[in-house]
Amino acid sequence: MFGVLVRRLFSALPVLLIVSLISFGLMRLIPGDPAAAIAGIAATPAQIEQLRRDLGLDEPLWMQLVHYYEGLARGDLGRSLLLGKGVFAATMERLPVTIALSLYALVFTLIIGIASGIIAALKQNTWIDQAAMMFAMIGISVPNFFLGLLMIILFAVHLGWLPSGGYVPFSESPIGWLRSMTMPAFSLALLQAGLLARITRSSMLEVLRQDYIRTAKAKGLPQRRVILKHALANALIPIVTVVGIIVSLLLSGAVVTEALFSIPGMGQLLTQAVLNRDYPMVQGGLLLVTTFLVLVNITVDTLYAVLDPRVRHE
Amino acid sequence: MKRLLLASTFAATFALPAVAAPFTCPSRGGDIVFGQEANVNSLDQMTSSTISTRNIAMNMYESLMTRDENNRPILELAESMEEAPDGLTYTFRLRQGVTFHNGKPMTSADVAASFNRYNRIGLQRSTLDNVAGWDTPDPRTFVIRMKQVQPTFIEALSSFSVPIVVIPSEHENDDRQQLRPVGTGPFRLLEFVPGSHARLGRFDAYSPNTAFEQRTGFGGYRVACVDTVTFRIVTEASARVAGLETGALQAVEDVPTRSLDTLRRNSAITILPLQNWWIQIALPNTAHGPTANLAFRRAVQAALGMEDIMDAATDGNYRLNVGFQYPNQPSFTDAGRETYNINDPARARTLLRESGYRNEPIIILTNRDYPPMYNAALVMQQQMRAVGINANLRVVDWPTSVQMSQRVNSDEWHFFHSGWGTQPALGALATMQFLVAPGANYRPRDDKDDPDVLAAWNRMNNERDPAARQQAFADMQRLVLERAYAYPFGSLTKVQAVRSNVQGYVPFRIPRFSNVWITR
Repeated sequence: MFGVLVRRLFSALPVLLIVSLISFGLMRLIPGDPAAAIAGIAATPAQIEQLRRDLGLDEPLWMQLVHYYEGLARGDLGRSLLLGKGVFAATMERLPVTIALSLYALVFTLIIGIASGIIAALKQNTWIDQAAMMFAMIGISVPNFFLGLLMIILFAVHLGWLPSGGYVPFSESPIGWLRSMTMPAFSLALLQAGLLARITRSSMLEVLRQDYIRTAKAKGLPQRRVILKHALANALIPIVTVVGIIVSLLLSGAVVTEALFSIPGMGQLLTQAVLNRDYPMVQGGLLLVTTFLVLVNITVDTLYAVLDPRVRHE
Repeated sequence: MKRLLLASTFAATFALPAVAAPFTCPSRGGDIVFGQEANVNSLDQMTSSTISTRNIAMNMYESLMTRDENNRPILELAESMEEAPDGLTYTFRLRQGVTFHNGKPMTSADVAASFNRYNRIGLQRSTLDNVAGWDTPDPRTFVIRMKQVQPTFIEALSSFSVPIVVIPSEHENDDRQQLRPVGTGPFRLLEFVPGSHARLGRFDAYSPNTAFEQRTGFGGYRVACVDTVTFRIVTEASARVAGLETGALQAVEDVPTRSLDTLRRNSAITILPLQNWWIQIALPNTAHGPTANLAFRRAVQAALGMEDIMDAATDGNYRLNVGFQYPNQPSFTDAGRETYNINDPARARTLLRESGYRNEPIIILTNRDYPPMYNAALVMQQQMRAVGINANLRVVDWPTSVQMSQRVNSDEWHFFHSGWGTQPALGALATMQFLVAPGANYRPRDDKDDPDVLAAWNRMNNERDPAARQQAFADMQRLVLERAYAYPFGSLTKVQAVRSNVQGYVPFRIPRFSNVWITR
């Protein structure tokens, strides 16, 4: 098990190197002057020129690349052109918010997705199955910003149950945090929940057809025990694999959700950084998000090994 | 000696209805949450020209001078200013009893330190290019020495584009974008979470400027009536509207037109149009191609119908406007009006034939980051096609379009779409700098200006008589329009809105929360 973990950690290094190179290259390939973007629409040519010099944007490209990797070697991700502060510090202010939103959304995803998938599989070809799969399709098809807007109109404007936007840190008020994050997390979760429901359904159907389930039933085990202990445990293996992907999707989906609900997370930070051509912020931010995703995937792989003894022995 | 005295009549003339006594809050207390459309990354007012920073920071900081409701320079932290007869020194006498948010009294040493920081890293430190230095003969006196006479210096000094805000001297060496948020304004910073919100609280030790009786522009007699003002970043227009409807937000900027009808029917909400938000404009590339040809540019000018362009650009929220200033501004002129809104396809076709145009593809450079610019470009394309011009759109994002438009002798585009906001609000001088090389969007061949336009620009800067400077502006505007170096379409109205219990809120370029109160 330990060997698997170490191997996976080492194999992540080239991934991070490639991501760093691609983000550096892509940002430079996008046309657009960072100084003009940061200075804003009201800036005069003199202000833009002044900013360009202040930010050191007149350096040749190769020198910028050398400085970037020198910094990375020292563990320094650089300074945001836009915020004037360290990329690591700026990311650490925002990344926990996005991770918390994604994890909260993951809870909704797992509960809705797995429950409706199991029910649909157990009630295969009944109206319950069809209704569950129809809701799954709606979840997959409706863009989360549209769903978010509908939820704001219903729960904030008409019912007044939840705030229409804004963020309350957990440390300030756990209840306030729950109220501010529930709508964003739910709207973010629904798409992935639809996906997970379909996967759970097919995985469960496959497992339910297996001989050992038939044997368990023949032995006279109660239906509930057969489903939870024998069927679900095995059906979970492909589901766990998908969870890693779902976390990545939730993180990327958070960009739109954060903007809609005014949540100060990584999505907003990176979107602003790209729009403003804040090279160090995009490069460093992407590297840190990638690192997080790699760690999530390693965790999922490890969990996979825990669930499936065959993987452990490979 | 010429002495700029604090004209208390400004307050009576331009602010709220004339009253005998200074403004007092009809009620105190309460919290306002303002839905701001654009993200704010820093509150360092010296190193940022973005509107979103100014929105918040200008409720916290103050300068020696600022602008009144009609954009005229007025004193703010100074009680008087004297210009020497030779025009080479300006002596400011500071107001007494002004303290910073940290409790420290403000002295000339703080003003000097603020100028030092601005001169080191201020985004518009070119304002001080012609300044030889500054002295502090005593704690209440600040003297600026000029290298040579600059009749426009006070106009530049009072500009709110990137104002020289006064900070405590111990913050002089704060890094770029890292200024500690301590000012002298009516509100002090309580909390700032970039990307989320900034919360300001009433500064109880604030000392209002008694030379006035009312708030005017950024200055005047200011009082904070509410306990807190929270600027919440709400980038989605629909979310801003929802917040206003639910009462989660008490004031918002930029209400979309599609929501106006619903909001107007809601008695809990007051709609406040802010006219003259920006001048919608397109600039031809005079360095290259058919657009280098005056007859061609005039053909396009003759083809343009401004009502259609502005209507599409702004969803009907606009006013037709000749030139580069707004009708309410003291420097407004309609010189060159015969070139505006011609909308005569027959004349355009005749001019097109004269220009020798041979159906070359014409590229209109625009972006989707600012929808009014994109919509204006679409209509302009159709109007040009209607007279036989092979016009095509090139849609990129805003930073890219700025970079392309700034390239010397570029052949990548023929018309560039923009919106001029802060500079036209700051007056003729600030605006017309866009139209001399090297302009942000105006790059003549090899950066060589039209000598007549350049001569008018120089007169705008160097004439000592204000009337002569105004005449120079009128001449420059007429020349620019006659020679079709720019196509100003009209002015865009931005719609703001507040909850009806928010009183005293008057739309301005930057939201002002002093002299604003909440009824219960």
